[in-house]
Amino acid sequence: MRSKTLAIAAITLLGLAAPASAGAVTLIGSGSVAAQPVLQALFATYTKKVNHKVHFTYVADGGNAGVKDVQNGTSQFAGQARTPLPSDAGTTYIKFYLDGLCMDVNPKNSLSNITIQQTHDIYRGLLTNWSQVPGSGLDTTIDPVGRDTNGGTYNFFLQAVLNNEPPASNVNALTADGLVVNAVKQDPNSIGYAGLAWQKKGLKTLKVNGVPCKASKISVEPLKYPLSRYIFLVLPGDGSSSPKALVKFIDWARRSKLAGETILKAGGVPAFNKK
Amino acid sequence: MLGALVCAVVALLLALIATVFVHAWPSFAHNGLSWFGPGGNVDDQMEAISLSAQTGAGYVYTFHAWPLIWSTILITGGAVTIALVSALFSAVFIIEFAPTWMSNILQPVVRFLASVPSVIYGLIGVVVIVPFIGNHFVTEPQKASVAGVISLTGYSLLAAVTVLTVMIAPLMVSIFSDGLRAVKPGWLEGSLALGVNRWRTTWKIGVRSARPAIVAGTVLAVARATGEAVMLAMISGSVGFAPNPADGLIFIYEPSRPLAPTIVKNIDQLSSKPANATLFAIAAVLLFSGAMVSLAGHIARRAMRKYGSA
Repeated sequence: MRSKTLAIAAITLLGLAAPASAGAVTLIGSGSVAAQPVLQALFATYTKKVNHKVHFTYVADGGNAGVKDVQNGTSQFAGQARTPLPSDAGTTYIKFYLDGLCMDVNPKNSLSNITIQQTHDIYRGLLTNWSQVPGSGLDTTIDPVGRDTNGGTYNFFLQAVLNNEPPASNVNALTADGLVVNAVKQDPNSIGYAGLAWQKKGLKTLKVNGVPCKASKISVEPLKYPLSRYIFLVLPGDGSSSPKALVKFIDWARRSKLAGETILKAGGVPAFNKK
Repeated sequence: MLGALVCAVVALLLALIATVFVHAWPSFAHNGLSWFGPGGNVDDQMEAISLSAQTGAGYVYTFHAWPLIWSTILITGGAVTIALVSALFSAVFIIEFAPTWMSNILQPVVRFLASVPSVIYGLIGVVVIVPFIGNHFVTEPQKASVAGVISLTGYSLLAAVTVLTVMIAPLMVSIFSDGLRAVKPGWLEGSLALGVNRWRTTWKIGVRSARPAIVAGTVLAVARATGEAVMLAMISGSVGFAPNPADGLIFIYEPSRPLAPTIVKNIDQLSSKPANATLFAIAAVLLFSGAMVSLAGHIARRAMRKYGSA
């Protein structure tokens, strides 16, 4: 009796496992840490809603290491946050989506424009009072808020504003973009950064180096907004040798509306997706 | 059959403890006792640990958790102390002094409050209490005095202790009042019949014989407070900073981050092997302190057994 039950259970388990493995493809990638949250969100959405048979592994070993992995064949694709260099010979860069960050203050702050240098100094703890930032109309202590190290926005901010120096200890590192926005809404002295998707009522979006933070400025070439950049996917050779499943995925991720929404939610700005 | 079930549960528990400690071992082995000590910035250490898995230059394990431990002690200690006093008086009031109709309303309300999920308290903390403290209690000179080191924005010891107190007090009230209700009526009536007044009777006979229940309630509250992660991650402030009582009043406005929320905050780094070991080391410390608290409660209850059952 017992052995029969066991046998049935085993067969059922095998039956469940078999269709999942039949024709399944696992695509292997590596590279940029900054791109990881968006890529992982895209992977999850694709496997769940588009093609159950395609799975992904992605090792965030940094963009440069990712390109090397593609060159020597250990990865089928790499995420990359910088433009191509001569050392990347034998690879193809595909524009994938954009990183774009807005700087926000509370509406009670009369500041309308901030420079990258000022932002850097605030988040490095060099400027600690609003009186040191001309145009703010405040003379109170600055409360800078940001993301913790888990966020893609954190990585981009670190590279684009802080030159990879860690933020000062007075920066309140919150666990979600929504909490950053909430903190800026509620505290007249705070400054924070968040993606385009978060720019709503109750926040004052600053111009950065004089350029307003709008989708039209972030995603239109040449990239004039200072806190925007392309994230690339790097493929070996001229890209024609890549597996079909990967090509299909890239096409879906660059063009479909669902992928665009996923990118936006994960903190990026879709570049080519249908609206 | 039941015996097998018990064995299975115990085996599962042992497996859990073993897993946690095996995963945690590299972190303890590398740091020794200095794991528990102060030294350096704990957030920078955590980041170095996470990143060391990617650089290929060997794993980094250096971790000095004192700011996190100190924060846990301050927040848990503060909340449990305040909750113990207020819960004891509330329970005495509900059982001994409140009119029947009132205690009929209060008891289900307290029971309900004790079962509210902590994340709801966290939400209220983030949208109400934190901004209130930041905008009304903290003064500009206080903020300026620590500018560039930490931000006093309302994410603070005060917010954490307040919300945690509100969270654990109903649990304590509920257990304390069960204990008070179980006191043999004869003992109380005997005391009253001898002409001892009602307050003295309650305090000397009721509360004294309910002491095992008070210990039990406090142990549960300490366990819940120490293990609370999500709510504290939302409102305690997320800096690995050790608030210093020598700073004066400003100390209660200082942010910190206890042990449990540190695990929540760094959960994305689990794939990094050294970060994994460090987070499991934190888990091991929490597990060990939980076991110690429950052991201490057990010993205390044994010593009080002569006063009544609970």
